[in-house]
Amino acid sequence: MNKLALTLNVNGQDYDLLCEPSRTLAQALREDLGLTGTKVGCGVGDCGACTVLVDGQTVNSCLVLATQAAGKAIVTIEGLADGPKLHPIQEAFVEHGAIQCGFCSPGMILSAKALLDANPAPSELEIRQGLSGNLCRCTGYQKIVQAVDSAARTLRGERTVG
Amino acid sequence: MAQQFDVIGSRAPRLDGPAKATGQAIFADDLHFPGMLHGAILQSPHPHARVLSVDASAARRLPGVKAVITAAEVGTIKYGVSPARYDETLFATEKVRYVGDEIAAVAAVDLATALEALSLIKVEYDPLPAVFDPLEALAEGAPLIHDEFPGNVCAEVHQEFGDVEAALAKADYVRTDSLKNKRQDGGFIETHCAVAAPDLNGRVTLYSATQVPHYVQRNVAMVLGLDLSKLRVIKPYVGGGFGPKAEATPLDYCSTALALATGKPVKMAYTREQVFLHSRARHQFIHEMTTGVTRDGKLLALKHRAILDGGAYTSFGIATVYYSGSLLGGPYRMANMKYDGLRAFTNKPACGAQRGHGGVIARALFERQLDLIAKELGIDPVRMRLENMMEVGDVTCNDLNMSSLGMRECIEAVRDGSDWGAKKGKLPRGKGIGAACGFFVSGAGYPIYRSETYHSTVTLKVDEDGGGIKVLSASAEIGQGSDTVLGMIAAESLGVPLDLVRVESGSTDFGVDLGAYSSRQTLMSGHACRDAALMAKNRILGSVAAELGVDPADLDFKNGVLISLGPVLDIAPLRTRYRKEHRGWPNLPDGEALSFAEAARMAFLAQGSIVGTGQYKPPQLGGKYKGAAVGTSPAYGCSAQVVEVAVDLDTGQVRVESITDAHDCGRAINRTAVEGQMEGSISMGLGEALFEEVKFDAKGRVVNPSLGEYHIPTIQDMPAMKCIVVESDEPNGPFGAKEVGEGAIMPTIPAILNAVFDATGAVITELPLTPERVLRAIREAQGKE
Amino acid sequence: MLLPRFDYQRPRDLSEALGLLAQAGDQARPLAGGTDLLVNLKLGKVTCRLVVDLDGVAELKDVSGPGEAPSLGALLSAAWLAKQAGGLGLMGLAEAGGVLGSPQVRNRATIGGNLCTARPAGDLCTALLALDARVVLAGASGRRELPVEQFITGPGLTAIAPGEILLAARPAPGATAGGSAFEKLGLRRTMEIALVSAAVWVQSEADGRTVKAARVALGAVGPTPLLARAAATALVGRPAGTEAFAAAAQAAAEAARPIDDHRGSAEYRRQMVAVLTRRALERAWSRALEATA
Ligand SMILES: Cc1cc2nc3c(=O)[nH]c(=O)nc-3n(C[C@H](O)[C@H](O)[C@H](O)COP(=O)(O)OP(=O)(O)OC[C@H]3O[C@@H](n4cnc5c(N)ncnc54)[C@H](O)[C@@H]3O)c2cc1C
Ligand code: FES
Ligand code: FES
Repeated sequence: MNKLALTLNVNGQDYDLLCEPSRTLAQALREDLGLTGTKVGCGVGDCGACTVLVDGQTVNSCLVLATQAAGKAIVTIEGLADGPKLHPIQEAFVEHGAIQCGFCSPGMILSAKALLDANPAPSELEIRQGLSGNLCRCTGYQKIVQAVDSAARTLRGERTVG
Repeated sequence: MAQQFDVIGSRAPRLDGPAKATGQAIFADDLHFPGMLHGAILQSPHPHARVLSVDASAARRLPGVKAVITAAEVGTIKYGVSPARYDETLFATEKVRYVGDEIAAVAAVDLATALEALSLIKVEYDPLPAVFDPLEALAEGAPLIHDEFPGNVCAEVHQEFGDVEAALAKADYVRTDSLKNKRQDGGFIETHCAVAAPDLNGRVTLYSATQVPHYVQRNVAMVLGLDLSKLRVIKPYVGGGFGPKAEATPLDYCSTALALATGKPVKMAYTREQVFLHSRARHQFIHEMTTGVTRDGKLLALKHRAILDGGAYTSFGIATVYYSGSLLGGPYRMANMKYDGLRAFTNKPACGAQRGHGGVIARALFERQLDLIAKELGIDPVRMRLENMMEVGDVTCNDLNMSSLGMRECIEAVRDGSDWGAKKGKLPRGKGIGAACGFFVSGAGYPIYRSETYHSTVTLKVDEDGGGIKVLSASAEIGQGSDTVLGMIAAESLGVPLDLVRVESGSTDFGVDLGAYSSRQTLMSGHACRDAALMAKNRILGSVAAELGVDPADLDFKNGVLISLGPVLDIAPLRTRYRKEHRGWPNLPDGEALSFAEAARMAFLAQGSIVGTGQYKPPQLGGKYKGAAVGTSPAYGCSAQVVEVAVDLDTGQVRVESITDAHDCGRAINRTAVEGQMEGSISMGLGEALFEEVKFDAKGRVVNPSLGEYHIPTIQDMPAMKCIVVESDEPNGPFGAKEVGEGAIMPTIPAILNAVFDATGAVITELPLTPERVLRAIREAQGKE
Repeated sequence: MLLPRFDYQRPRDLSEALGLLAQAGDQARPLAGGTDLLVNLKLGKVTCRLVVDLDGVAELKDVSGPGEAPSLGALLSAAWLAKQAGGLGLMGLAEAGGVLGSPQVRNRATIGGNLCTARPAGDLCTALLALDARVVLAGASGRRELPVEQFITGPGLTAIAPGEILLAARPAPGATAGGSAFEKLGLRRTMEIALVSAAVWVQSEADGRTVKAARVALGAVGPTPLLARAAATALVGRPAGTEAFAAAAQAAAEAARPIDDHRGSAEYRRQMVAVLTRRALERAWSRALEATA
């Protein structure tokens, strides 16, 4: 099989790579670029742990070929913090106890980001709908909902973190 | 509470929060080593068959394959969980006993090559008749799964406390009910993974996604014939465990063996399907219960019987079958209890421990039956529970000692928090409210192998410069927050702020810790941590007292500074010494009081490195009867829940609309973490009540080995939860703390069942509550009306 | 879980895509959102040597309507439908798009992929069937149109010929003159393949009372999504309301051909057909009135 040369734009940075056409975006991110913050819990779209943003939309990176994402803006969990300063959604997850084992957290946080980018003031139901593709076995989701709600307020400038 | 704490009882954010929120936290599958190979395991496609031959020669010849191991290479040392029941070998030699039983493993340059190699291994099987149903397995003439276990009986328990028949004869009302659940899966989002990295001195470091580094180390060393000193187990961050990660997996054994065979690091992970094949999750129980009460609802006697579908091997099953009986000893006063438990072997993956180990279905049925009794007697079910409940100082008929018990507070909290009085019996048809209680151990009283070992050791080291504290523990942070809890206990004990403490855990190099199971770490590892911290503190205070010429008993630390309980201190000479050592440094301590850093530095100058050690093993616990080791614990947590449901009377769909939960966790070390355990437990209980079922086809294959078809609750299935932390002061726990990690699941299933009954009058005796099952039960109940 | 190896091409227009497919014969597979194809490749249920990514074929994203007869390009996603199909007067399709899989899946899953996968429970298939949609196919020898009912021939089977590409789905030109709705039953509230689904479309006479036309489609209760003609017959010419809806629901239940499987019994599924049909009709009718007004 012919390898493909492609350029992935991840978190604002271009990466050139040569890979099998059958390489998934999740594999390319984790194994070729060393961005292991993207997790894989099932490989078939059921859990959402591998969620990343492609042109602002959430996708399961286990079900997208790396080459399909070439030329698009990819955001992974590594791209959210501003240097040492956590993104307000990350901050809220930490502060509200929305993280336990943390395996679902990267995907969950990126789904929250896509939600809040599109809808800065979601209702509780909208938060739940927005995160419904991300399974979490640890938290029962309560603190996740609280964290997203709190992050939304922060991002709207209603309160400041810290 | 009278005692004032500075760190404990707060909502300190988890220590690992930022690492996990940013993707920096490293899980096993994130590890990469130069030259790393990838391994894979060949598993049996047959549920029961003789293995006539295994020919791996073609696989060995495949370019890129670095090693193939079979029983011929690794031997057949038997292992399991409890040494009395070692009944597994790494690779099947004579027989395979379930679809998924291991035959061989391969290491190759990449996973694709390893998988291709597996397809080249030729195995000749002679299929045998198989049995999948526990009742059929116990029937005469069933295929025998293990020669050593006639009748496919894995374990039998018969216990009687008091005189049950006599008490039942005296009862005004006696009723019998039954409940059957389905096999569950752990449903953690991270599948099992292991990476074994050899060094050039014959040593291996095994990075494993495990709850129990200590047991993994012992078992892997034993099975592979390694000196314990040659094997170090490190648990990286783990993506949830809930029980099924509480024993060494074939990945642990195989990756280590392959690393030794190739001299290269070897990574192996389960696919999601393989997680279902490995299983070790909640058993299926067929439980039957007879309870006798007086006219006014006082519990007199309980007689119950459970049959467990164990799968092909014992795993944790002995403990499971005992827990299913013993945990009903509390939280109600009941003088007579008889239990008969039987665990059957079947040709399916082995079941093991899962959150609420052994007790969940027994509890569900008992709490369900209490409601049915209350209804029959015309008593409010909450009142009936309050009237039967035990109190501090009570000892159960099976010798469990209630050293603390906030049961009344829990029941009252959920009653009031849910507005029970205004709702019970007053909701429209289709809406229902239900209550239930729970009860669980706070740490198993004994290790799984017979030993007088300490259950936990902690080493606490103070930086030589005095600035920080390192807690070194072999305990397992698996998401429950144990690192944060240990850090908080260390900080509180030392009298310093939490940010001075760093917790290094999960490595067998740091000592002994039995790991994250039986809700033991806060109590047991916490004890060891507190003692280690106190030892270190006393050493520091000793030096400082000598320097200051005061009695060490008059000194302490609070919020990171030295305080005097007696004379006014002249700290100037010590400060001067410290300052001289740090000439040119910004931000030197300059408060009125001596800082912890200054004090600790003085202690180092006087004594060398300041290290404190702590260790814990439970005191002698009650119970001389057979099986007393399972259920006796240094402390018991308890809980109560009220659930409100809406049942769609046309489809049978159950929607849990709200949950009010209260849990007595002793003293809450970290409130956010306590609530997190309560909320997570509820979601697992809700999943088991409404959705979860591992299904098999007629050939013993899992029909739904995916998170798409095995349904754990999504965020839209979970209601808003009101979690009330009830604190008691547990004398056997560090700072009065005890469990919350598992006990919190106990009331969920029965509370949902009771609420569905309240909503519809439907009596449901089988889980999960699929819409179809609920609708059928609703129609049956209507038919009877 | 690994994907097997394959070659990959991303044609820039339809003729290039058709050329690539024609060349590779049955060794090639078109790729749309990948939420079925990549899963099936991983599970070994499908094999192929060449994957032809349709993403560069712009006309597959074309939309027409409102105002014209609606035509929906094959590459439009379920998320797009959830947001936009309502505005085209196709609420049933919007509802189906909105309950397909998860947000991440909806962002990728396409109309064309849903139709070509032809799952008996396919949410978009069922919703399109109720809208009397036709599919437009392009092949080396030109274009053709087929009703969805004829396009889907069995579980996982369609009338698509090797080398053909599904270009668009076209709800009946009159579809927007009525109201539609979609109901789906699963265990969980989301992330569920339907245990049973019902998609209905109804049109009102000018009197705002009488049913002028109707279609009832059922998912997961037969080898393909089924059209319950008798249910439509039970409605047409009758005054809309509880009685007519109950009769239609009953007729739909009788038309269903469910089987027992591990997810549910045939009997339960049949009963649920009636419940979902009735509920969908109630919602669709109020939309039909809005469309008539
Ligand atoms: C987690 C998960 C949940 C899901 N939930 C649902 C659900 O609730 N309801 C539901 O109906 N489905 C569900 N699906 C299935 C799937 O998402 C849908 O069937 C989806 O519409 C498929 O579209 P796609 O673009 O991803 O198809 P692809 O996977 O890209 O393609 C599917 C098939 O169609 C062929 N194909 C695609 N487009 C064309 C075209 N234009 N011309 C010719 N051939 C074509 C491909 O070659 C392939 O054989 C789910 C899938 C996942 C992974
Ligand atoms: S790993 Fe991609 S959805 Fe589970
Ligand atoms: S925190 Fe563990 S899965 Fe969500």
